Amino acid sequence: MTAFIKKEWMENVRTGRIWILLLLFGLFGVMNPAIAKLTPWMMEVLSDSLESQGLVVTQVTVTALDSWVQFYKNVPMALLIVVLIFNQTFTGEYQKGTLIPVVTKGLARPKIVFAKMLMLLAVWTIGYFLCYAITYAYNAYYWDNSVVAHPLFASFCYWLFGVWVLTIMTFFSASVTSNVQVLLGTGAVVFGIYLLGLIPKLSGYVPTKLMEGMKILQGAVKPADYCVSIGTAGVTMVLWIVSAVLCFDRRKL
Amino acid sequence: MEMLSLSKVEKRFGTKQVLKNVTFSVPEHTIYGFVGQNGAGKTTTMKLILGLLACDKGEILVDGAPVHYGENKTNRFIGYLPDVPEFYTYMTPMEYLRLCGEITGMESKEIKSRSEELLELVGLGNEKRRIKGFSRGMKQRLGIAQALLNRPRLLICDEPTSALDPAGRKELLDILVAAKKETTVLFSTHILSDVEHICDELAFLHEGEIALQGKLEEVRHMRRQTATEIEVEKPEDARQILSAFPDMENVGKGCVKLVNPKQLPALLHFLADRNIAPVRIERMEPTLEDLFLEVIGK
Repeated sequence: MTAFIKKEWMENVRTGRIWILLLLFGLFGVMNPAIAKLTPWMMEVLSDSLESQGLVVTQVTVTALDSWVQFYKNVPMALLIVVLIFNQTFTGEYQKGTLIPVVTKGLARPKIVFAKMLMLLAVWTIGYFLCYAITYAYNAYYWDNSVVAHPLFASFCYWLFGVWVLTIMTFFSASVTSNVQVLLGTGAVVFGIYLLGLIPKLSGYVPTKLMEGMKILQGAVKPADYCVSIGTAGVTMVLWIVSAVLCFDRRKL
Repeated sequence: MEMLSLSKVEKRFGTKQVLKNVTFSVPEHTIYGFVGQNGAGKTTTMKLILGLLACDKGEILVDGAPVHYGENKTNRFIGYLPDVPEFYTYMTPMEYLRLCGEITGMESKEIKSRSEELLELVGLGNEKRRIKGFSRGMKQRLGIAQALLNRPRLLICDEPTSALDPAGRKELLDILVAAKKETTVLFSTHILSDVEHICDELAFLHEGEIALQGKLEEVRHMRRQTATEIEVEKPEDARQILSAFPDMENVGKGCVKLVNPKQLPALLHFLADRNIAPVRIERMEPTLEDLFLEVIGK
């Protein structure tokens, strides 16, 4: 299995994926506080044209919270890009037939799924927390992070949501043949569960609740309220991975 | 001792029966030719042996151990060269062989020495580029190196020579002959001269069934006996011969073919009596090609 993890790593480095993602997460990390910092200035620049439309700009004060708002706006975009880049993790290999020599050399199929999953998790975790750390550091420098409640826990929730999405994507990539099917399948499941979450009785249980990091930061909800959705995310993640292994075992290469 | 045996193997894809009652076995240290038209079921049979597809019926044993779909314990004894081998294009040949070696559990030192030896053997010894820029022939060569890496007990090659130029083809056949000392080779092809050059035994697969199998010499002589072809200068001479010997076949362009060798003395008398000077008299050894065409009914 280590041999296959090394292969995955080499693939990510040599195809440039890892650099693109690091750059992207780094950029988002800088952009979040930068946009917050620049907001008053932009308002001032725009104030004349806004005034002509009847809007009066008063003093705008920015806190760390505004920067965190940006963080939770940008991170879904980063997750989407990760999904777009990695959705062909299996389908790409099916189309080229590159897994055939590996499997016929005797590498057990579940190990391939685990190796790919681990690499994907590592990339998401490192990228995500890089972005988090940069935003956190700038916020601490310009403002004060103490205005927000539980910033680490809130970001952990979104990170877990990302992991959950990526296990769904891995399942679809292992079981269908084209990239479009992977994207449609993953999108449909995530959106479907999001819709379920709109039903008030279910809203506390669905993993999509983990996206609401802002509510934690604003102190509107307590971390304990997230226990159930963390639990369901954990259980369904295991189910997605088990299904991915089962599908891949039965799969024609 | 049999390295590979298939008994009563059947496979269907949807409503199409691809393999019917396929039974054959490959003894150790032989080169076994697996001959058939495109679409006869050669690749399917090989994928069944590798556990990449599931059998509907029948049993496959590799070195005495049964093959199960999805699991691939028996693959540890097998080296496989797919018809169009595809590799990770961002690796160099050396890196790719290291990946394969590590998967099969070889020692690091051995991987290095064996890879160097094999890349030299297949003519990629000085290739430091990544696989991305490789031609199909080069990929085929790397494929054979990859297949031989862990000294497999059974080497399965799916049409290994079809992408190669004549020189490359000869080299590859030489590699297979050399490999015979250490391993057993099963290779599929539709190039019959390759079979005639290197195979000890062969099987013809036609429409999913084994139409014919046995040792090369036996199979070659299963067919009707040696024929004689006679070419004469004038077309009317050929017509004369044909009317006197109705069993003979007209091959065209003043050529006639004698199928029954017992008639040869009488024919020669006939030519001498009529003063017909033949341009050429040739004894035709039965070729696999004739046999193949006969088997597929053309």
